Amino acid sequence: MINQKKTIPVCPDLSINIGTLRLKNPVLLASGTCGYGMELDGLLDLDKLGGIIIKGLSIRPRSGNPPPRLAETPCGLLNSIGLENIGIEVFIRDKLPCLRNIQTSLIVNILGNSVEEYFEMAKRLDREEGIEAIEVNISCPNVKAGGIAFGTDPEAAASVTHAVKKATGLPVIIKLTPNVTDITEVARKVASAGADAISLINTLLGMAIDIKFRRPALANVFGGLSGPAIKPIALRMVWQVVRAVDIPVIGIGGIITPDDALEFLMAGARAVQIGTATLIRPSTAEDLPAGIRDYMRANNIKNVENLRLPA
Amino acid sequence: MSRFDIPANIVEQTRLAHSIFLLTVNAPAIMDSANPGQFCMLEVQDDNSRDPLLRRPLSIYKTGSNGKISFLYKEVGKGTRLLSKRRPGEIIRVLGPLGQGFRLIHDCPSILVGGGLGVASLLLLAQRIKQPHRLIVLIGAKNASEIPTIEDFSRLTRYLHIITEDGSLGQRGVITELLNQTLQKITDMAQIYTCGPWSMMKAVYHMARKRNIPCQVSLEAAMACGTGLCLGCAVPKSNSQGFLHVCQEGPVFDADQVHWG
Ligand SMILES: Cc1cc2nc3c(=O)[nH]c(=O)nc-3n(C[C@H](O)[C@H](O)[C@H](O)COP(=O)(O)OP(=O)(O)OC[C@H]3O[C@@H](n4cnc5c(N)ncnc54)[C@H](O)[C@@H]3O)c2cc1C
Ligand SMILES: Cc1cc2nc3c(=O)[nH]c(=O)nc-3n(C[C@H](O)[C@H](O)[C@H](O)COP(=O)(O)O)c2cc1C
Ligand code: FES
Repeated sequence: MINQKKTIPVCPDLSINIGTLRLKNPVLLASGTCGYGMELDGLLDLDKLGGIIIKGLSIRPRSGNPPPRLAETPCGLLNSIGLENIGIEVFIRDKLPCLRNIQTSLIVNILGNSVEEYFEMAKRLDREEGIEAIEVNISCPNVKAGGIAFGTDPEAAASVTHAVKKATGLPVIIKLTPNVTDITEVARKVASAGADAISLINTLLGMAIDIKFRRPALANVFGGLSGPAIKPIALRMVWQVVRAVDIPVIGIGGIITPDDALEFLMAGARAVQIGTATLIRPSTAEDLPAGIRDYMRANNIKNVENLRLPA
Repeated sequence: MSRFDIPANIVEQTRLAHSIFLLTVNAPAIMDSANPGQFCMLEVQDDNSRDPLLRRPLSIYKTGSNGKISFLYKEVGKGTRLLSKRRPGEIIRVLGPLGQGFRLIHDCPSILVGGGLGVASLLLLAQRIKQPHRLIVLIGAKNASEIPTIEDFSRLTRYLHIITEDGSLGQRGVITELLNQTLQKITDMAQIYTCGPWSMMKAVYHMARKRNIPCQVSLEAAMACGTGLCLGCAVPKSNSQGFLHVCQEGPVFDADQVHWG
């Protein structure tokens, strides 16, 4: 980190807006890596974060993929959890009441296999108190279109966005999959379909082979790659999307240190999400707001948005 | 449920056999709340290389005086190799105690069945059994060098039986033979606690079930977080309705809950 002495001390303001959602700082926990929040009890002070994004919920509970579900790769993690979750109703009944007490913004991540499912879930969540935004995972197979992921088909991505916006007044964040040729095409489509913000990237499709047992390392053969290994790709895609749309972008991918987070903010992300790093060290995200603040103070930068590089 | 993620001071790293080590760290908070069968996640690398990226799970083998805890582990790959290079005086991050350990059932004979390094999760249990005269410990391994910590157990019970495949220690044969001999002598109710390779635990469970003896098993699975965040550590349930999560609902389960395949 650069450490220049300035004569006029600034008091950096870390709060940011995403649509109508105001976050006290730009650091959030990424979906699928922070459980339903309470698993982190005593290991991370959620109140120090800008927000938490709950494990992706579906309309009915899902049991997920058979094991092995995890494989470690150099600086990366492959997972094929298969979107295991307790379902939206059990979440509302058993988890939401405790989550209402945390002093950080609660964002719920949803996934579906049809536009109708996304619509139903958004409508259901809209009635519940304590939820401040909805993040929509569109990296799921569209059953009616032969199982192609919504997120790889710009039209389908736009339809989901439309449906969710119609179902709720809450800010809607569309989470993009990086497994496409041109990320800006999908980004533009969901932006014009009314998304309040875009978050990216979800995991990159990958695989590993166990040469001792001569079989794919994951029972599902393919899995999603996350962690420091994907950071350069995530950063490039965030840079591109920031310059293609005029809604806020949330950067995700391999962030561990304040320096990592600053790179994304300089690429133009309004906020960042921490995923795999929380699995390795639960308290990782807690240290980021202070690290970002220190950098801003040392460099005389008043707002998070002013970190963004030109061009 | 108190868990702590602490930078712990390494106080001892001893090679006990060719690839087996005993690591002792100073972690009073973890020691105070550790229960038999629980484990910790250890950050093995000593720099910020992030390689390997994930921590490694190890059972809590021993809790000593003055806040010390020990791990008994085998070098099997990159992570455990790096761990074995760590030296006293260095700091290692340890997260624990994690998971649900053994449920202690008193008032009946306790039969502990350990296969190889599976003994790593059984010592604390043996220490906490309230009626040492009804504690039976059966240990099996390929050879003597796989089980270098036998004295830790022989101190606790007169009924320690060892079997090795090559006969280098105790009887020659496999652990199920020992269990069979033991079960034949037992007339009243008993409780089996086991940890070892999957195939061994499966065989132990089947023998237990035949005689209607309850059996607790300590399972392993690939883990990323150890704290229930990622849902990566799944093992199929016996009723084929979904999965158990080893780090959170386990690592110890009633053997009936598990789909043994
Ligand atoms: C809850 C829990 C408690 C555990 N407690 C202990 C313990 O007390 N002592 C201990 O030694 N280990 C224990 N293990 C296993 C230990 O975590 C692994 O051996 C370790 O993570 C391997 O890391 P690595 O990087 O050295 O090997 P990797 O590079 O991950 O694996 C190297 C090779 O070893 C194989 N391998 C992985 N695990 C094992 C294993 N357990 N036995 C034999 N081969 C294996 C892999 O398939 C691979 O081929 C425990 C695991 C769990 C889930
Ligand atoms: C184990 C695991 C589970 C995940 N589950 C979800 C999920 O349910 N919904 C979702 O939108 N993203 C999910 N993700 C993706 C992360 O939220 C994040 O986009 C991705 O891991 C990249 O960030 P990272 O490198 O910081 O982990 C998951 C990632 C991991 C590692
Ligand atoms: S290892 Fe992550 S949930 Fe068990």
